[in-house]
Amino acid sequence: MDKEKNILKYKDYKLEDFLGDEYFISWVKNPKGNNNHFWDKWIAENGDKSDMVIQAASIIRSMSYEHKPSLSDKAYLEIFENVLKSEPRIDHKEKNKRQNNRSIWRSLFGLQKVAAAILLIFCAWVIIDIYWVEEEQVPVPIKWEVRENPPGIKSTIKMGDGSVVNLNANSKLSFMEKFSDSLRMVKLEGEAFFDVEKEDRPFIVDLGESQIEVMGTTFNVKNTHVGNVSVALVSGKVKVKDESGNQVILHPSEMLEINEKGKLTIATFDVREITAWKDKLLIFKNSNKSEVIQKISDWYGVVVDADEGIKDNWAYSGEYHNESLENVLEGIKRTLNIGYKISGKKVQLIKN
Amino acid sequence: MLYDGGIAKIKFDMEPIKSPEITDSTQRKYTEKEYQEMPDELVWKFFCKGNEFAFNYIYKNYASDIFSFGYQFCGDSHLVEDCIQNVFIYLRRKREKLGEVKSIKSYLFRCIQCEIIKRLKERGMLVDTDQLQYKKAFNITLSPETIMIESESQEQKKRMINTALDKLTVRQRQALILLYEEEMSYSEIAEVMGFNEVKSARKLVYRALASLKEVINPF
Repeated sequence: MDKEKNILKYKDYKLEDFLGDEYFISWVKNPKGNNNHFWDKWIAENGDKSDMVIQAASIIRSMSYEHKPSLSDKAYLEIFENVLKSEPRIDHKEKNKRQNNRSIWRSLFGLQKVAAAILLIFCAWVIIDIYWVEEEQVPVPIKWEVRENPPGIKSTIKMGDGSVVNLNANSKLSFMEKFSDSLRMVKLEGEAFFDVEKEDRPFIVDLGESQIEVMGTTFNVKNTHVGNVSVALVSGKVKVKDESGNQVILHPSEMLEINEKGKLTIATFDVREITAWKDKLLIFKNSNKSEVIQKISDWYGVVVDADEGIKDNWAYSGEYHNESLENVLEGIKRTLNIGYKISGKKVQLIKN
Repeated sequence: MLYDGGIAKIKFDMEPIKSPEITDSTQRKYTEKEYQEMPDELVWKFFCKGNEFAFNYIYKNYASDIFSFGYQFCGDSHLVEDCIQNVFIYLRRKREKLGEVKSIKSYLFRCIQCEIIKRLKERGMLVDTDQLQYKKAFNITLSPETIMIESESQEQKKRMINTALDKLTVRQRQALILLYEEEMSYSEIAEVMGFNEVKSARKLVYRALASLKEVINPF
Protein backbone atom coordinates (compact mmCIF):
# COMPACT_ATOMS: atom_id res chain seq x y z
CA MET A 1 0.00 0.00 0.00
CA ASP A 2 2.16 2.78 1.31
CA LYS A 3 5.23 1.17 -0.12
CA GLU A 4 3.74 0.98 -3.60
CA LYS A 5 3.09 4.69 -3.46
CA ASN A 6 6.65 5.29 -2.29
CA ILE A 7 8.14 3.32 -5.14
CA LEU A 8 6.34 5.58 -7.59
CA LYS A 9 7.18 8.72 -5.66
CA TYR A 10 10.91 8.06 -5.81
CA LYS A 11 10.87 7.55 -9.58
CA ASP A 12 10.87 11.31 -10.21
CA TYR A 13 13.29 12.16 -7.45
CA LYS A 14 16.23 14.41 -8.11
CA LEU A 15 19.46 14.35 -6.17
CA GLU A 16 18.36 17.08 -3.77
CA ASP A 17 15.06 15.29 -3.17
CA PHE A 18 16.93 12.21 -2.01
CA LEU A 19 19.11 14.40 0.18
CA GLY A 20 16.05 15.71 2.00
CA ASP A 21 14.20 12.41 2.35
CA GLU A 22 14.14 10.97 5.88
CA TYR A 23 13.35 7.48 4.74
CA PHE A 24 16.29 7.47 2.35
CA ILE A 25 18.67 9.02 4.88
CA SER A 26 17.78 6.47 7.48
CA TRP A 27 18.64 3.69 5.05
CA VAL A 28 21.96 5.29 4.12
CA LYS A 29 22.83 5.63 7.80
CA ASN A 30 21.60 2.17 8.75
CA PRO A 31 21.71 -0.03 5.68
CA LYS A 32 20.97 -3.03 7.86
CA GLY A 33 17.83 -1.46 9.27
CA ASN A 34 14.19 -2.25 8.70
CA ASN A 35 13.76 -0.60 5.34
CA ASN A 36 16.71 -2.17 3.57
CA HIS A 37 14.48 -4.55 1.62
CA PHE A 38 12.62 -1.63 0.18
CA TRP A 39 15.77 0.09 -1.04
CA ASP A 40 17.45 -3.07 -2.31
CA LYS A 41 14.40 -3.65 -4.42
CA TRP A 42 14.11 -0.07 -5.51
CA ILE A 43 17.69 0.14 -6.68
CA ALA A 44 17.34 -3.13 -8.53
CA GLU A 45 14.29 -1.82 -10.35
CA ASN A 46 15.68 1.61 -11.09
CA GLY A 47 19.16 0.86 -12.36
CA ASP A 48 19.35 4.16 -14.24
CA LYS A 49 19.12 6.02 -10.94
CA SER A 50 21.78 4.05 -9.15
CA ASP A 51 24.50 6.66 -9.82
CA MET A 52 22.32 9.34 -8.34
CA VAL A 53 21.51 7.21 -5.33
CA ILE A 54 25.18 6.47 -4.71
CA GLN A 55 26.00 10.16 -5.07
CA ALA A 56 23.27 11.14 -2.62
CA ALA A 57 24.36 8.44 -0.18
CA SER A 58 27.95 9.59 -0.30
CA ILE A 59 27.01 13.22 0.35
CA ILE A 60 24.86 12.20 3.30
CA ARG A 61 27.65 10.08 4.73
CA SER A 62 30.37 12.62 4.22
CA MET A 63 28.78 15.67 5.83
CA SER A 64 30.01 15.98 9.37
CA TYR A 65 31.06 18.44 12.01
CA GLU A 66 34.26 20.23 11.08
CA HIS A 67 35.15 20.40 14.75
CA LYS A 68 33.92 17.57 16.83
CA PRO A 69 35.78 17.58 20.11
CA SER A 70 34.75 14.83 22.46
CA LEU A 71 33.97 15.12 26.11
CA SER A 72 37.06 14.05 28.04
CA ASP A 73 36.66 11.06 30.32
CA LYS A 74 37.59 13.23 33.22
CA ALA A 75 34.92 15.83 32.51
CA TYR A 76 32.41 13.06 31.82
CA LEU A 77 32.93 11.61 35.29
CA GLU A 78 33.16 14.94 37.05
CA ILE A 79 29.91 16.24 35.61
CA PHE A 80 28.19 12.99 36.53
CA GLU A 81 29.46 13.13 40.10
CA ASN A 82 28.61 16.81 40.49
CA VAL A 83 25.11 16.20 39.20
CA LEU A 84 24.53 13.42 41.73
CA LYS A 85 26.19 15.40 44.51
CA SER A 86 24.05 18.45 43.91
CA GLU A 87 20.99 16.80 45.41
CA PRO A 88 18.78 17.67 47.12
CA ARG A 89 19.94 21.27 47.15
CA ILE A 90 22.13 22.81 44.55
CA ASP A 91 24.77 25.30 45.20
CA HIS A 92 25.02 27.23 41.97
CA LYS A 93 28.02 29.22 43.11
CA GLU A 94 30.17 26.21 43.67
CA LYS A 95 32.18 26.21 40.51
CA ASN A 96 33.88 23.00 39.89
CA LYS A 97 37.51 23.42 39.04
CA ARG A 98 38.05 21.28 36.10
CA GLN A 99 41.46 21.26 34.63
CA ASN A 100 41.77 22.61 31.20
CA ASN A 101 42.17 19.34 29.55
CA ARG A 102 42.39 20.22 25.89
CA SER A 103 39.90 18.04 24.23
CA ILE A 104 40.95 15.07 22.29
CA TRP A 105 39.94 15.31 18.69
CA ARG A 106 38.14 12.32 17.50
CA SER A 107 39.72 10.82 14.46
CA LEU A 108 36.84 11.06 12.08
CA PHE A 109 38.88 10.13 9.10
CA GLY A 110 39.33 6.56 10.19
CA LEU A 111 35.62 6.22 10.70
CA GLN A 112 34.81 7.71 7.34
CA LYS A 113 37.12 5.30 5.61
CA VAL A 114 35.43 2.38 7.20
CA ALA A 115 32.00 3.83 6.39
CA ALA A 116 32.91 4.29 2.73
CA ALA A 117 34.29 0.77 2.52
CA ILE A 118 31.16 -0.64 4.09
CA LEU A 119 29.00 1.27 1.63
CA LEU A 120 30.99 -0.07 -1.31
CA ILE A 121 30.86 -3.62 -0.07
CA PHE A 122 27.18 -3.23 0.62
CA CYS A 123 26.41 -1.93 -2.88
CA ALA A 124 28.42 -4.74 -4.41
CA TRP A 125 26.63 -7.24 -2.25
CA VAL A 126 23.22 -5.86 -3.23
CA ILE A 127 24.05 -6.21 -6.91
CA ILE A 128 25.60 -9.65 -6.58
CA ASP A 129 22.74 -10.84 -4.44
CA ILE A 130 20.12 -9.68 -6.92
CA TYR A 131 21.74 -11.37 -9.91
CA TRP A 132 22.60 -14.54 -8.13
CA VAL A 133 19.12 -14.98 -6.90
CA GLU A 134 17.81 -14.59 -10.42
CA GLU A 135 20.25 -16.91 -12.11
CA GLU A 136 21.07 -19.58 -9.65
CA GLN A 137 18.12 -20.00 -7.43
CA VAL A 138 17.17 -23.61 -7.29
CA PRO A 139 13.80 -23.88 -5.68
CA VAL A 140 14.16 -26.22 -2.77
CA PRO A 141 10.87 -27.22 -1.21
CA ILE A 142 10.60 -25.98 2.34
CA LYS A 143 10.37 -28.80 4.82
CA TRP A 144 8.26 -28.07 7.82
CA GLU A 145 8.80 -29.63 11.20
CA VAL A 146 5.54 -29.91 13.12
CA ARG A 147 5.03 -30.08 16.89
CA GLU A 148 1.50 -30.52 18.10
CA ASN A 149 0.39 -30.57 21.72
CA PRO A 150 -2.86 -32.28 22.63
CA PRO A 151 -4.96 -30.74 25.41
CA GLY A 152 -3.26 -31.10 28.75
CA ILE A 153 0.32 -31.19 27.42
CA LYS A 154 2.72 -28.25 27.16
CA SER A 155 6.20 -28.29 25.71
CA THR A 156 9.30 -26.22 25.30
CA ILE A 157 10.99 -26.11 21.92
CA LYS A 158 14.47 -24.84 21.34
CA MET A 159 15.16 -23.93 17.75
CA GLY A 160 18.32 -23.95 15.70
CA ASP A 161 18.81 -20.18 16.01
CA GLY A 162 18.66 -20.30 19.81
CA SER A 163 15.10 -19.01 20.07
CA VAL A 164 12.93 -20.75 22.63
CA VAL A 165 9.23 -21.35 22.20
CA ASN A 166 6.91 -22.49 24.98
CA LEU A 167 4.02 -24.17 23.25
CA ASN A 168 0.79 -24.34 25.20
CA ALA A 169 -1.58 -27.27 25.31
CA ASN A 170 -3.93 -27.76 22.39
CA SER A 171 -1.56 -25.85 20.10
CA LYS A 172 0.47 -26.53 16.99
CA LEU A 173 3.75 -25.02 15.85
CA SER A 174 5.30 -25.65 12.45
CA PHE A 175 8.72 -24.37 11.60
CA MET A 176 11.28 -24.70 8.85
CA GLU A 177 13.59 -27.62 9.41
CA LYS A 178 16.40 -25.22 8.83
CA PHE A 179 15.83 -21.50 8.67
CA SER A 180 16.75 -19.85 5.40
CA ASP A 181 19.59 -17.36 5.09
CA SER A 182 17.30 -14.38 5.14
CA LEU A 183 14.36 -15.35 7.24
CA ARG A 184 13.14 -17.37 10.17
CA MET A 185 9.56 -18.45 9.82
CA VAL A 186 7.16 -20.41 11.99
CA LYS A 187 3.42 -21.08 11.81
CA LEU A 188 1.28 -21.15 14.89
CA GLU A 189 -2.14 -22.38 15.80
CA GLY A 190 -3.09 -21.95 19.43
CA GLU A 191 -0.91 -20.26 22.02
CA ALA A 192 2.84 -19.90 22.44
CA PHE A 193 5.35 -17.75 24.27
CA PHE A 194 8.33 -16.76 22.14
CA ASP A 195 11.76 -15.76 23.35
CA VAL A 196 13.39 -14.86 20.06
CA GLU A 197 17.14 -14.71 19.70
CA LYS A 198 18.16 -11.36 18.27
CA GLU A 199 19.81 -11.44 14.88
CA ASP A 200 19.52 -9.77 11.50
CA ARG A 201 17.18 -12.31 9.99
CA PRO A 202 13.63 -11.32 10.82
CA PHE A 203 11.60 -13.87 12.74
CA ILE A 204 8.09 -14.22 11.40
CA VAL A 205 5.17 -15.90 13.10
CA ASP A 206 2.49 -16.77 10.58
CA LEU A 207 -0.97 -16.97 12.11
CA GLY A 208 -2.76 -17.54 8.85
CA GLU A 209 -4.54 -14.25 8.61
CA SER A 210 -1.94 -12.14 10.36
CA GLN A 211 1.83 -12.17 10.55
CA ILE A 212 4.07 -11.04 13.35
CA GLU A 213 7.54 -9.87 12.51
CA VAL A 214 10.24 -9.44 15.09
CA MET A 215 14.00 -9.25 15.49
CA GLY A 216 14.76 -10.20 19.08
CA THR A 217 12.10 -10.02 21.71
CA THR A 218 9.81 -11.91 24.08
CA PHE A 219 6.09 -12.07 23.51
CA ASN A 220 3.00 -14.18 23.88
CA VAL A 221 0.70 -15.08 21.00
CA LYS A 222 -2.74 -16.60 21.29
CA ASN A 223 -4.62 -17.60 18.21
CA THR A 224 -7.95 -19.23 18.95
CA HIS A 225 -9.74 -21.41 16.48
CA VAL A 226 -12.59 -18.92 16.35
CA GLY A 227 -10.31 -16.39 14.68
CA ASN A 228 -9.34 -14.26 17.65
CA VAL A 229 -5.68 -13.29 17.81
CA SER A 230 -3.90 -11.64 20.69
CA VAL A 231 -0.26 -10.63 20.75
CA ALA A 232 1.22 -9.49 24.07
CA LEU A 233 4.70 -7.99 23.99
CA VAL A 234 6.95 -8.38 27.04
CA SER A 235 10.17 -6.87 25.69
CA GLY A 236 11.61 -5.65 22.42
CA LYS A 237 9.49 -4.62 19.50
CA VAL A 238 7.11 -6.47 17.23
CA LYS A 239 5.29 -5.60 14.08
CA VAL A 240 1.93 -7.22 13.37
CA LYS A 241 0.44 -7.26 9.90
CA ASP A 242 -3.08 -8.47 9.22
CA GLU A 243 -4.45 -9.81 5.97
CA SER A 244 -5.81 -6.45 4.83
CA GLY A 245 -2.34 -4.94 5.06
CA ASN A 246 -2.79 -3.11 8.36
CA GLN A 247 0.40 -2.81 10.32
CA VAL A 248 0.80 -2.21 14.00
CA ILE A 249 4.02 -1.77 15.94
CA LEU A 250 3.80 -2.84 19.54
CA HIS A 251 5.88 -1.55 22.41
CA PRO A 252 6.64 -3.46 25.59
CA SER A 253 3.64 -4.16 27.82
CA GLU A 254 1.20 -3.53 25.01
CA MET A 255 -1.19 -6.18 23.79
CA LEU A 256 -2.84 -6.21 20.41
CA GLU A 257 -6.12 -8.02 19.94
CA ILE A 258 -7.69 -8.79 16.62
CA ASN A 259 -11.24 -10.09 16.84
CA GLU A 260 -12.86 -12.45 14.36
CA LYS A 261 -14.21 -9.49 12.39
CA GLY A 262 -10.70 -8.12 11.95
CA LYS A 263 -11.05 -5.24 14.38
CA LEU A 264 -7.80 -4.21 16.10
CA THR A 265 -7.47 -2.98 19.65
CA ILE A 266 -4.37 -2.20 21.67
CA ALA A 267 -4.37 -2.31 25.46
CA THR A 268 -1.88 -2.78 28.23
CA PHE A 269 -1.77 -6.14 29.95
CA ASP A 270 -0.63 -7.92 33.07
CA VAL A 271 2.54 -9.78 32.10
CA ARG A 272 2.11 -12.29 34.87
CA GLU A 273 -1.44 -13.14 33.94
CA ILE A 274 -0.78 -13.53 30.24
CA THR A 275 2.44 -15.53 30.48
CA ALA A 276 1.67 -17.50 33.63
CA TRP A 277 0.78 -20.63 31.74
CA LYS A 278 4.35 -21.20 30.63
CA ASP A 279 5.48 -21.24 34.25
CA LYS A 280 2.83 -23.81 35.07
CA LEU A 281 0.73 -21.18 36.80
CA LEU A 282 -2.99 -21.49 36.21
CA ILE A 283 -4.61 -18.13 36.86
CA PHE A 284 -8.26 -17.20 36.91
CA LYS A 285 -9.09 -13.53 37.18
CA ASN A 286 -12.77 -12.64 37.48
CA SER A 287 -13.51 -15.45 35.08
CA ASN A 288 -17.06 -16.48 34.24
CA LYS A 289 -18.18 -20.07 34.00
CA SER A 290 -17.35 -20.61 30.35
CA GLU A 291 -13.89 -19.11 30.73
CA VAL A 292 -13.17 -21.36 33.71
CA ILE A 293 -14.38 -24.41 31.84
CA GLN A 294 -12.39 -23.52 28.74
CA LYS A 295 -9.20 -23.05 30.77
CA ILE A 296 -9.59 -26.27 32.71
CA SER A 297 -10.33 -28.31 29.59
CA ASP A 298 -7.28 -26.94 27.77
CA TRP A 299 -5.02 -27.18 30.80
CA TYR A 300 -5.84 -30.75 31.85
CA GLY A 301 -7.12 -32.11 28.57
CA VAL A 302 -10.50 -33.05 29.97
CA VAL A 303 -14.06 -32.51 28.85
CA VAL A 304 -16.00 -30.41 31.33
CA ASP A 305 -19.77 -30.38 31.56
CA ALA A 306 -21.89 -28.40 33.98
CA ASP A 307 -25.34 -29.12 35.34
CA GLU A 308 -27.97 -26.98 33.71
CA GLY A 309 -28.85 -25.08 36.86
CA ILE A 310 -25.34 -23.60 37.22
CA LYS A 311 -25.30 -19.98 36.15
CA ASP A 312 -22.63 -18.39 33.96
CA ASN A 313 -22.21 -15.21 36.02
CA TRP A 314 -19.14 -16.34 38.02
CA ALA A 315 -16.36 -13.91 38.79
CA TYR A 316 -13.90 -16.53 39.91
CA SER A 317 -10.33 -15.63 40.81
CA GLY A 318 -7.67 -18.07 41.86
CA GLU A 319 -4.09 -19.17 41.22
CA TYR A 320 -2.72 -22.68 41.08
CA HIS A 321 0.90 -23.53 40.63
CA ASN A 322 1.39 -26.92 39.09
CA GLU A 323 -1.65 -28.30 40.90
CA SER A 324 -3.64 -31.41 40.12
CA LEU A 325 -7.07 -31.19 38.53
CA GLU A 326 -8.64 -32.28 41.80
CA ASN A 327 -7.04 -29.49 43.80
CA VAL A 328 -8.21 -26.90 41.30
CA LEU A 329 -11.74 -28.28 41.36
CA GLU A 330 -11.63 -28.39 45.16
CA GLY A 331 -10.77 -24.67 45.18
CA ILE A 332 -13.57 -23.82 42.81
CA LYS A 333 -15.98 -26.00 44.75
CA ARG A 334 -15.30 -24.17 48.00
CA THR A 335 -15.55 -20.70 46.51
CA LEU A 336 -18.61 -21.20 44.37
CA ASN A 337 -20.44 -23.77 46.43
CA ILE A 338 -20.77 -26.36 43.71
CA GLY A 339 -19.85 -30.02 43.53
CA TYR A 340 -17.89 -32.00 40.96
CA LYS A 341 -17.23 -35.52 39.79
CA ILE A 342 -14.23 -36.75 37.85
CA SER A 343 -14.57 -39.86 35.77
CA GLY A 344 -11.56 -40.54 33.56
CA LYS A 345 -11.23 -37.66 31.13
CA LYS A 346 -14.64 -36.26 32.02
CA VAL A 347 -15.56 -33.72 34.66
CA GLN A 348 -19.09 -32.98 35.70
CA LEU A 349 -19.84 -29.81 37.71
CA ILE A 350 -22.77 -30.51 39.99
CA LYS A 351 -25.31 -28.02 41.31
CA ASN A 352 -25.62 -28.20 45.09
CA MET B 1 16.06 -16.59 -1.29
CA LEU B 2 17.97 -19.78 -0.97
CA TYR B 3 16.49 -22.42 1.18
CA ASP B 4 18.76 -25.06 2.55
CA GLY B 5 16.98 -28.33 2.55
CA GLY B 6 19.50 -29.98 4.85
CA ILE B 7 18.66 -32.10 7.82
CA ALA B 8 17.35 -30.11 10.73
CA LYS B 9 19.44 -29.83 13.81
CA ILE B 10 16.79 -28.72 16.19
CA LYS B 11 17.00 -29.78 19.76
CA PHE B 12 13.96 -30.36 21.85
CA ASP B 13 14.26 -30.17 25.53
CA MET B 14 11.81 -29.68 28.31
CA GLU B 15 13.87 -27.46 30.55
CA PRO B 16 11.75 -24.73 32.04
CA ILE B 17 12.84 -21.30 30.90
CA LYS B 18 13.26 -18.44 33.27
CA SER B 19 10.13 -16.55 34.13
CA PRO B 20 9.99 -12.80 33.56
CA GLU B 21 10.81 -10.77 36.63
CA ILE B 22 7.76 -9.61 38.39
CA THR B 23 8.65 -6.35 40.07
CA ASP B 24 7.66 -2.73 39.70
CA SER B 25 8.69 -2.21 36.12
CA THR B 26 9.40 1.48 36.62
CA GLN B 27 12.08 0.80 39.22
CA ARG B 28 13.78 -2.26 37.92
CA LYS B 29 17.15 -2.34 36.27
CA TYR B 30 17.16 -3.00 32.58
CA THR B 31 20.20 -3.86 30.53
CA GLU B 32 21.63 -1.28 28.20
CA LYS B 33 20.30 -3.29 25.29
CA GLU B 34 16.83 -3.28 26.77
CA TYR B 35 16.96 0.47 27.20
CA GLN B 36 18.05 0.84 23.60
CA GLU B 37 15.11 -1.19 22.39
CA MET B 38 12.65 0.61 24.60
CA PRO B 39 10.82 3.60 23.19
CA ASP B 40 12.29 6.86 24.48
CA GLU B 41 8.99 7.78 26.17
CA LEU B 42 9.33 4.79 28.45
CA VAL B 43 12.97 5.38 29.38
CA TRP B 44 12.05 8.97 30.14
CA LYS B 45 9.05 7.93 32.22
CA PHE B 46 11.29 5.63 34.25
CA PHE B 47 13.74 8.47 34.80
CA CYS B 48 10.91 10.79 35.88
CA LYS B 49 9.71 8.16 38.35
CA GLY B 50 13.10 8.23 40.00
CA ASN B 51 14.72 5.20 38.41
CA GLU B 52 18.47 5.81 38.70
CA PHE B 53 19.36 3.13 36.16
CA ALA B 54 17.36 5.03 33.58
CA PHE B 55 19.19 8.23 34.51
CA ASN B 56 22.58 6.54 34.23
CA TYR B 57 21.65 5.21 30.84
CA ILE B 58 20.51 8.63 29.64
CA TYR B 59 23.67 10.30 30.86
CA LYS B 60 25.95 7.66 29.47
CA ASN B 61 24.21 7.52 26.15
CA TYR B 62 23.83 11.22 25.43
CA ALA B 63 26.53 13.16 27.31
CA SER B 64 29.10 13.08 24.53
CA ASP B 65 26.58 13.88 21.78
CA ILE B 66 25.31 16.86 23.75
CA PHE B 67 28.86 18.00 24.24
CA SER B 68 29.87 17.99 20.59
CA PHE B 69 26.57 19.64 19.67
CA GLY B 70 26.89 22.34 22.33
CA TYR B 71 30.47 23.02 21.33
CA GLN B 72 29.23 24.23 17.94
CA PHE B 73 27.64 27.31 19.50
CA CYS B 74 30.69 28.69 21.23
CA GLY B 75 33.85 26.63 20.75
CA ASP B 76 34.34 26.75 24.50
CA SER B 77 34.59 23.30 26.12
CA HIS B 78 34.41 24.71 29.61
CA LEU B 79 31.23 26.59 29.04
CA VAL B 80 29.61 23.55 27.42
CA GLU B 81 30.63 21.28 30.30
CA ASP B 82 29.15 23.73 32.78
CA CYS B 83 25.94 23.90 30.82
CA ILE B 84 25.65 20.11 30.60
CA GLN B 85 26.03 19.95 34.35
CA ASN B 86 23.36 22.59 34.90
CA VAL B 87 20.94 20.93 32.52
CA PHE B 88 21.21 17.55 34.22
CA ILE B 89 20.96 19.07 37.68
CA TYR B 90 17.86 20.93 36.59
CA LEU B 91 16.29 17.84 35.03
CA ARG B 92 16.90 15.74 38.13
CA ARG B 93 15.39 18.37 40.38
CA LYS B 94 12.30 18.72 38.23
CA ARG B 95 12.04 15.10 37.19
CA GLU B 96 8.63 14.56 38.76
CA LYS B 97 7.15 17.50 36.94
CA LEU B 98 8.68 16.92 33.53
CA GLY B 99 6.30 16.14 30.72
CA GLU B 100 6.32 13.38 28.17
CA VAL B 101 9.39 13.18 25.96
CA LYS B 102 9.19 11.50 22.58
CA SER B 103 12.85 11.79 21.67
CA ILE B 104 15.34 12.11 24.50
CA LYS B 105 18.11 13.20 22.21
CA SER B 106 16.26 16.13 20.67
CA TYR B 107 14.86 17.13 24.06
CA LEU B 108 18.36 17.24 25.58
CA PHE B 109 19.73 19.07 22.55
CA ARG B 110 17.01 21.66 22.98
CA CYS B 111 17.89 22.01 26.68
CA ILE B 112 21.60 22.43 26.07
CA GLN B 113 21.03 24.90 23.26
CA CYS B 114 18.78 27.06 25.49
CA GLU B 115 21.26 26.90 28.35
CA ILE B 116 24.25 27.87 26.22
CA ILE B 117 22.39 30.71 24.53
CA LYS B 118 21.23 31.97 27.91
CA ARG B 119 24.80 31.98 29.16
CA LEU B 120 26.13 33.67 26.04
CA LYS B 121 23.48 36.35 26.40
CA GLU B 122 24.47 36.87 30.04
CA ARG B 123 27.97 37.49 28.83
CA GLY B 124 26.60 39.95 26.28
CA MET B 125 27.94 37.80 23.52
CA LEU B 126 24.79 37.06 21.62
CA VAL B 127 21.67 38.47 20.11
CA ASP B 128 20.29 35.46 18.26
CA THR B 129 21.50 32.15 16.93
CA ASP B 130 22.42 33.44 13.50
CA GLN B 131 24.66 36.03 15.09
CA LEU B 132 26.90 33.82 17.13
CA GLN B 133 30.30 35.34 17.70
CA TYR B 134 31.93 31.99 17.26
CA LYS B 135 33.06 32.09 13.65
CA LYS B 136 33.14 28.34 13.16
CA ALA B 137 29.63 27.70 14.44
CA PHE B 138 28.23 24.52 12.93
CA ASN B 139 30.91 24.34 10.29
CA ILE B 140 30.43 21.34 8.09
CA THR B 141 33.22 19.50 6.39
CA LEU B 142 33.03 17.01 3.58
CA SER B 143 35.24 14.11 4.34
CA PRO B 144 37.52 13.33 1.40
CA GLU B 145 37.18 9.58 1.72
CA THR B 146 34.00 9.22 -0.24
CA ILE B 147 33.16 7.62 -3.50
CA MET B 148 32.15 10.97 -4.84
CA ILE B 149 35.68 12.30 -4.63
CA GLU B 150 37.58 10.13 -7.04
CA SER B 151 39.62 12.40 -9.23
CA GLU B 152 41.46 15.72 -9.25
CA SER B 153 38.52 17.57 -10.74
CA GLN B 154 36.42 16.16 -7.95
CA GLU B 155 38.82 17.67 -5.48
CA GLN B 156 37.91 21.02 -6.94
CA LYS B 157 34.25 20.15 -6.71
CA LYS B 158 34.68 19.37 -3.06
CA ARG B 159 36.16 22.80 -2.52
CA MET B 160 33.16 24.35 -4.24
CA ILE B 161 30.76 22.44 -2.01
CA ASN B 162 32.68 23.46 1.07
CA THR B 163 32.50 27.10 0.00
CA ALA B 164 28.77 26.76 -0.62
CA LEU B 165 28.34 25.18 2.82
CA ASP B 166 30.18 28.09 4.41
CA LYS B 167 27.76 30.50 2.75
CA LEU B 168 24.73 28.88 4.37
CA THR B 169 23.31 30.46 7.50
CA VAL B 170 24.26 28.94 10.85
CA ARG B 171 20.74 27.62 11.28
CA GLN B 172 20.75 25.99 7.86
CA ARG B 173 24.03 24.24 8.65
CA GLN B 174 22.69 23.25 12.03
CA ALA B 175 19.65 21.65 10.39
CA LEU B 176 21.84 19.72 7.93
CA ILE B 177 24.10 18.50 10.72
CA LEU B 178 21.12 17.36 12.76
CA LEU B 179 19.72 15.57 9.74
CA TYR B 180 22.88 13.81 8.58
CA GLU B 181 25.37 13.60 11.40
CA GLU B 182 22.91 13.31 14.28
CA GLU B 183 20.47 11.25 12.21
CA MET B 184 17.43 13.12 13.44
CA SER B 185 13.99 13.16 11.91
CA TYR B 186 12.37 16.40 10.85
CA SER B 187 10.17 16.42 13.91
CA GLU B 188 13.23 16.04 16.13
CA ILE B 189 14.97 18.85 14.26
CA ALA B 190 11.90 21.04 14.75
CA GLU B 191 12.06 20.35 18.48
CA VAL B 192 15.76 21.19 18.78
CA MET B 193 15.39 24.36 16.78
CA GLY B 194 12.27 25.49 18.56
CA PHE B 195 9.85 25.32 15.64
CA ASN B 196 6.21 24.70 16.43
CA GLU B 197 5.69 22.93 13.15
CA VAL B 198 7.66 20.15 11.55
CA LYS B 199 7.26 21.72 8.14
CA SER B 200 9.39 24.68 9.22
CA ALA B 201 12.26 22.24 9.74
CA ARG B 202 11.68 20.75 6.30
CA LYS B 203 11.62 24.20 4.73
CA LEU B 204 14.89 25.11 6.36
CA VAL B 205 16.57 21.96 5.03
CA TYR B 206 15.07 22.35 1.55
CA ARG B 207 16.26 25.92 1.37
CA ALA B 208 19.76 24.82 2.35
CA LEU B 209 19.71 22.03 -0.23
CA ALA B 210 18.44 24.45 -2.88
CA SER B 211 21.48 26.66 -2.31
CA LEU B 212 23.73 23.62 -2.64
CA LYS B 213 21.94 22.24 -5.69
CA GLU B 214 24.19 23.88 -8.27
CA VAL B 215 27.41 22.63 -6.81
CA ILE B 216 26.40 19.12 -5.89
CA ASN B 217 24.51 18.15 -9.01
CA PRO B 218 26.61 16.44 -11.65
CA PHE B 219 23.58 15.34 -13.65
